[in-house]
Order: sequence, then C-alpha cells, then structure tokens
Amino acid sequence: MITTPVKLWRRQKDVSKLIGQEGYVLSFTLIRVAAKGFGKESPYPVVIVKMENGKKLIGQLVDWEEKDLKKGRRVKAVLRKLTPDHTEDVIAYTIKFLPLNS
Amino acid sequence: MNISILGGATTKFGELWNVSPRALAKEAISNALIDANKSAEDIDAIFVGNMLAGILGHQANIGSFFGEELGRFVPAFHIEGACASGGLVLHNAINSINAGVYKTVLVLGVEKMTDVSQDDVMAGLMAAGSDEERQAGATFPGIYALMAQSYIERYGITEENLAGVAVKNHYHGSLNKKAQFKSLVTIADVMKSTRIADPLKLLDCSPVSDGAAAVIITGDTRVKNKVQITASEIGTDTLSLLDRKTFMSLNAVKIASKNAYKKTGIVPEKIDVAEIHDCFSIAEVIAVEDLGFSKQGEGALDIYKGKYTLGNNGLVTNPSGGLKACGHPVGATGIKQIVEITEQLKGAADTRQVKNAKVGLTHNVGGSGTVAAIHILQI
Repeated sequence: MITTPVKLWRRQKDVSKLIGQEGYVLSFTLIRVAAKGFGKESPYPVVIVKMENGKKLIGQLVDWEEKDLKKGRRVKAVLRKLTPDHTEDVIAYTIKFLPLNS
Repeated sequence: MNISILGGATTKFGELWNVSPRALAKEAISNALIDANKSAEDIDAIFVGNMLAGILGHQANIGSFFGEELGRFVPAFHIEGACASGGLVLHNAINSINAGVYKTVLVLGVEKMTDVSQDDVMAGLMAAGSDEERQAGATFPGIYALMAQSYIERYGITEENLAGVAVKNHYHGSLNKKAQFKSLVTIADVMKSTRIADPLKLLDCSPVSDGAAAVIITGDTRVKNKVQITASEIGTDTLSLLDRKTFMSLNAVKIASKNAYKKTGIVPEKIDVAEIHDCFSIAEVIAVEDLGFSKQGEGALDIYKGKYTLGNNGLVTNPSGGLKACGHPVGATGIKQIVEITEQLKGAADTRQVKNAKVGLTHNVGGSGTVAAIHILQI
C-alpha cells in the first residue's frame, strides 16, 4: 500500500469529516490471512458500514468482540493509525469503526 | 459478427518455478500455431492480456515484451483489466478484426505469479481494488467473504453448501492434465481447511498460479467448420464493492450476459457448457444466478446437489476444473476459458467431455465484479 506524504495530506480533510459519525454494519468478514503490512493485527474484522448520511464505508472494526461481528451492529467512526507497523516518517491515520454500547 | 477460432493452446497451470514468463508465452503461442496449422507469417497482430508483469515483474511495454515470442514483429498490444484481462483483450482483438484492421490475430493471456512472496502477490492483486479497500486491510478473499457473508445470511445456506463448488471443480480438474490440482476434495476437506477470511476457507479460494493460454482467431469468411465466437460483450461497474446496491449479484455480469444472449438469440437454457470465473466459491454461486442458469438464491444448492457436474444431462460448469482446480494465472484465465470451450465444442476434451456440447459460454470477471467479459461460442 502506498501512503506518500502528499497522498495522506490530500485525503486527511475527508477523513477528519467522518470522525464521530455513526452507522451500522451491512456485512463483515474476519480476515485471518492479513494484507501486507497488517499482519500484526491478524485476525482483524473488515466491515462495510452504512453511515447515517447514507454513504457506505469500508474499514476495520476495533476493540471488538465476537458478538460484534453481526449485521446491523451499530458502530462509530474513530481515528486510528492505519497499521501498527507504521512508526516512521509521516504516520498514516485512517477511519476505523468502534462498536457502540447497545 | 464472423469470428472463427482457428486453434488454441494452454500451458500447464501451476507453480512453474523453472519456467520464465517469456517461456510460458512461447509455449502457448507455438502450440496455438500448431493447433491452428498456421505459422507466424499468418498472424497480423498480437494482443496480450496480463495484469501483474508491471507490478510484480517491473516490466512495462508488455505487448512488445511478450510479442517477441511470436518470432516475427507485428503490431502488439497489451490490455489490462485485472483478472478479466484475458476476456477484455479477446474482446479488443475481435473489435480490431470487425473494424477491418486485421484479419487473423493471436490473443495471448499470460501471468507469472509465483516468483514473489504471497504477501507481494496479494498486494499486487489488491491493485485491482480501491484505495478505501486497501486502507481497510481488505484482501480479495476478504472482499468475496463480504459477499459470501451477505449471501449466506440472505438465503440461509450453509458453508457446506458453498464448499460444493470446490468439490465439483476439483473433480473436473482431476480429469484435466493441464490442471494445477488433480486431487479430489470432499465437503469435509473444504470445511477443515485453513480459514482465510470468514466464511471463506483455503479450499474456497483459487490458487496463485503461473500459466499462459493463446488462441488464434480470424475474420476470414472462407473458414468453415470451426468454432465461432458469436458474442463478445463487456460490462463494467464500480471499482469498490461497497458502492454497489447489492453484494449478492454482479451487475457487470448481468449487463454483459444480457447483451450476449440478445445478440445471439441464445437463452441460458441453450448453453451446454460454461467456464465460470470461480475465483472463490461464492463467485461461481453468484455467477450461475447472474447468468440465468439458477434462480436467485438457489445457485449454491444447485451446485452442491450436482446440477452442473460432469455426467449430468444438462449444462456443465467449469469442466476444466475452473480457477479453483485448474489454476488462476490471472491474465491467462480468460483465454484458457476460450481454449477449454473450443475443445469441448470440437468434442476433443477427452474424459472431461460434455456430451453433445454445441453452445458454450465463458464468464471472466475482474476485481470484485468491476468488469466482466462474456463470450458465447458455437459450432
């Protein structure tokens, strides 16, 4: 995955608008064979979320338990490091999803 | 449209560590020329389908790179459309003939995937996805798992039902000497295989493969008694899965197949044999529904119960073993499908021959359903 400083700078204003928005899970998977750079987090859930404004987003679920992996689970967009491996240069952040107390 | 297939050939598919990308291309080209009873002098142009040479091999200028293996310098072009590169390049080759620019062309699909690590192959394949999907840490098994999860919940099928795709395709692959896997698998084998991205397991997924396939096609109307391509249609959709209305159907496939059926006057019930893009088990399930073979929601059970398995009295899907068992060198797959259907329609498919096959279809998909190429072949 290419995350150059310019690319990160270009997308940060879109990312910041999403923080705190809520939505619900449309579909989910638990990825056990990780994508390159994501190995330390494996296994990790990837979910498609329908946001309150109707837009759909894809991202990882954080601070999750088995019971959170279900359709309809309410979640909130939070800002997180893209990968834990990313410790040098410009650190990339992205939107991930936190399960809300139901 | 008057397009005849003069001949074709496929290399063995598999982990071919001792074979270079060029050698793969050369073998497929040479054997296609022999099969067609033609020489390099008869070829007006070469069209190459390949996805990963640039990313994994740092090789651009792909038309020229692989075109050299013809042994003669003719106009050479490269078309990329992820795992549908083969189907897309064939479509463009056909267009060039229909436009009257060339008469006889060679269409090559080729991919070398096992030179690099699994991490690098997976990252290379994800170049066919969107930035959002990559940032989420999604993999292609993960994206198809999102479809499978939706499908399982909506239609109440089980993971065992999905496993039926691998069981069927490994059985067919066991009859194909070019196949990467000739081993039979059971539902239990699939269920206990390593979990990759829930609900998909290792045996729900097509492998990483090397391989090449080539066909020689012509617009020469004097050619008789050859397999004809009677429809070549392309459909496209959003790059990201999430931007679609449904995750349980691919609109690109629906559009392309609808147009192919309309142009030929063929209805799905008339298809005797089909090569389906089963990159993951769920993909063949969705495909048999989108192509009109199974009713919506019934594809998995139809496959599980053996409706499309060799030896039945109707349509057979993936007699080659499909991507699952024959292998999936991504740029080669769409052309391998054409070679397989051509052999089936000629009655030259040995033990995997579908009885009285007269009408065949190929279904080649790129990305998560971003692009689809549908071809109908008849004899």
